[in-house]
Amino acid sequence: MATISVPDRPTRARGIQFAPPVRLIGIGLLVPLLGLAAWTVGARQGWVPPQILPAPQVVWDTFLELWQSGDLLANTLISLQRVLFGFAAGASLGLLLGTAMGLSRPFEAYASVLFTSLAQVPALGWIPLAMLLVGIGESLKLIIVAVGTLVPVAWNTRAGIRAVPSGWFEAASLWRYSRAQVVWHIVLPATVPQIFVGLRYGLGHAWLALVVVELLASSEGLGYLLVWGRQMFQLDVVIATMAVIGAIGFALDAALAAIERRLQRWQVASP
Amino acid sequence: MVATAGSLEMRSVTKRYSVDGSPLVALDDVSLAVEPGEFLAIVGASGCGKSTILRLFAGLDAKHDGAVLHDGAPIVGPSLQRGLVFQEPRLFPWLPVERNVLAALRNSHLDAHARRSAVRDHIALVGLQGFERAYPHQLSGGMAQRVAIARGLVNRPDVLLLDEPLGALDALTRAHLQDELQRIWVRERTTMVLVTHDVDEAVYLADRVVVMSPRPGRIRDIVPVTLPRPRDRGDEALLRLRAHLLRTLAGTPQHAGLALHRAA
Repeated sequence: MATISVPDRPTRARGIQFAPPVRLIGIGLLVPLLGLAAWTVGARQGWVPPQILPAPQVVWDTFLELWQSGDLLANTLISLQRVLFGFAAGASLGLLLGTAMGLSRPFEAYASVLFTSLAQVPALGWIPLAMLLVGIGESLKLIIVAVGTLVPVAWNTRAGIRAVPSGWFEAASLWRYSRAQVVWHIVLPATVPQIFVGLRYGLGHAWLALVVVELLASSEGLGYLLVWGRQMFQLDVVIATMAVIGAIGFALDAALAAIERRLQRWQVASP
Repeated sequence: MVATAGSLEMRSVTKRYSVDGSPLVALDDVSLAVEPGEFLAIVGASGCGKSTILRLFAGLDAKHDGAVLHDGAPIVGPSLQRGLVFQEPRLFPWLPVERNVLAALRNSHLDAHARRSAVRDHIALVGLQGFERAYPHQLSGGMAQRVAIARGLVNRPDVLLLDEPLGALDALTRAHLQDELQRIWVRERTTMVLVTHDVDEAVYLADRVVVMSPRPGRIRDIVPVTLPRPRDRGDEALLRLRAHLLRTLAGTPQHAGLALHRAA
C-alpha cells in the first residue's frame, strides 16, 4: 500500500500556563507603591493638612487598632456575608433567566423587552423603591446586591448560549442526544467562559453596590465604617476602610478567576 | 466477511428548500441505491444537491417527496446505525480526544467497559494512539478530522456518510487520509457514501461514482470503478476514468463555461 509520510504531528502545547504569573502581579504593584511613596512624602512635607490626608503610618496604625479591637473584622465579615448571599441569589437567578432566554425563543420573546429595559437601571437605582418595599434591613442589602449580580450574569449567559455553534447541535442530534443531554453536555460547557465573564462582572457590581447601600442605609458593614469615620472626621479610618474594600474586591475577583482557570484547563493558553 | 446490512435507497426523491421565500429544488426525482458494504462517491458542482442526499440519508432533513430507506425501512430521523462526518471536525474543545469520541456513544447500548474499549479501538483505527488525552487545540487539522472519523465509526454503524470530510485539508494530508479511509473501509466493510468535489478522491476510493448536475439537482451519470484495491493513483485506467468523469462534469451547466475556456 502506498504510504505517504506526512508530518501529521500536532503542535504540542507547552503545558498549561497558570496565568497571570506572579511576575505580572509584581508589575501591577509598582504603581500603587509609587503612589504610596508620593503620599508619604506629601504627608511629611505637609502638602495637605493631616486632618484631610493623614500620613500612611497613621493610617496603618489605625488599621492595626481597628483590627485588634475586632471592629474591622466584624464589619468585614458582615459585608462579606451580605455580598456572598446576595451574589449567590443573584447569580442563581441570573443563570436561570439567562439560560431560559438563551434556550427558548418564545421565553425570550416574552422576557427580553422587560429584561433589557430593566437592565438599563443601575442596581443602585433600585435603592429608593426597594427601601419603600422592604425597609432598610438586611433584605434591602440582599436585594440590591442580587440585582447588581443578576443583570450581567443573565446577559452573558444568554449571549454565551446563543453563540454555541449550530454544528454541535446537529452532531448531537445524530447521536440521539435528548434535550437535557444537549444542555448538560454541550450548551453548559460551551457557555462556561461567557458565564464566567458575567459572574466576574456580577461580583464586581455586587461588591460596589453593597458598599454604597451600606453607606446610605446601614449600621454595620464596611460601608458603614466609611460613613462613621467621616462623621467622626477620622480620615485615617476612612482610608484604612477604603483599602480593605479595595483589597477584598480584588481578592473576590481573583478567586473567581482561579476557579475559572481550573474549569477551563482545556483553553488555549493565550500568549 | 461480506456485510449483510447497510443498504441505502432513494426512490423518486424530490427535496425543495425555500430560500428567502423563493423555492429551490435541491433534488429532482432522484433514485439511487447503495449496496451493503459499497463505497459510493458523489461528485458534482456546488448546488447539485449532493450534500442534501447525505442529509436525507442521515435523517437530518425530514420533509421530502419519495422514499428514503435504510435496509428497506423508511428513514425518519437520525440513527446510531448511520454515522456522519462533516467537513469540519466539530470537536468539543473542552474534551480530550478520547472523551470527544466517547461523546458519540452517550446513547449507545454498550456498557461502560465496552464503551471504553470501543473508544480505544477506534482511536487506534484512525492511528491516533498516544493522543487520547490531547485536547483539540493541540491537534493538526488532519488529526482533528481523524478524531471526527473515529466518532463517526465508534457506534459501529452500518453506514458511514462522509460530507467532504477532507475538503478543508492540505493536499498532502488529504492524500494521506484518503489512504487511511481506504484502509479502514477495506478492514471494516462499512457502507460508505462520500460526497466530494474532488474527482481524484472519488475514483481513488469508490466502487461507483455518482455524477450530479445542479439546478435542479439530478443524477447525470453513475460510473463504476472496478479496479482492485489498494489502488495506484497513477494507474492508467484510473486516469482514464478521471478524464471521463471530468468530461461528464464539464458538460453540466455549472462547468460549461470552464469547458469552453479549456477548448479555447
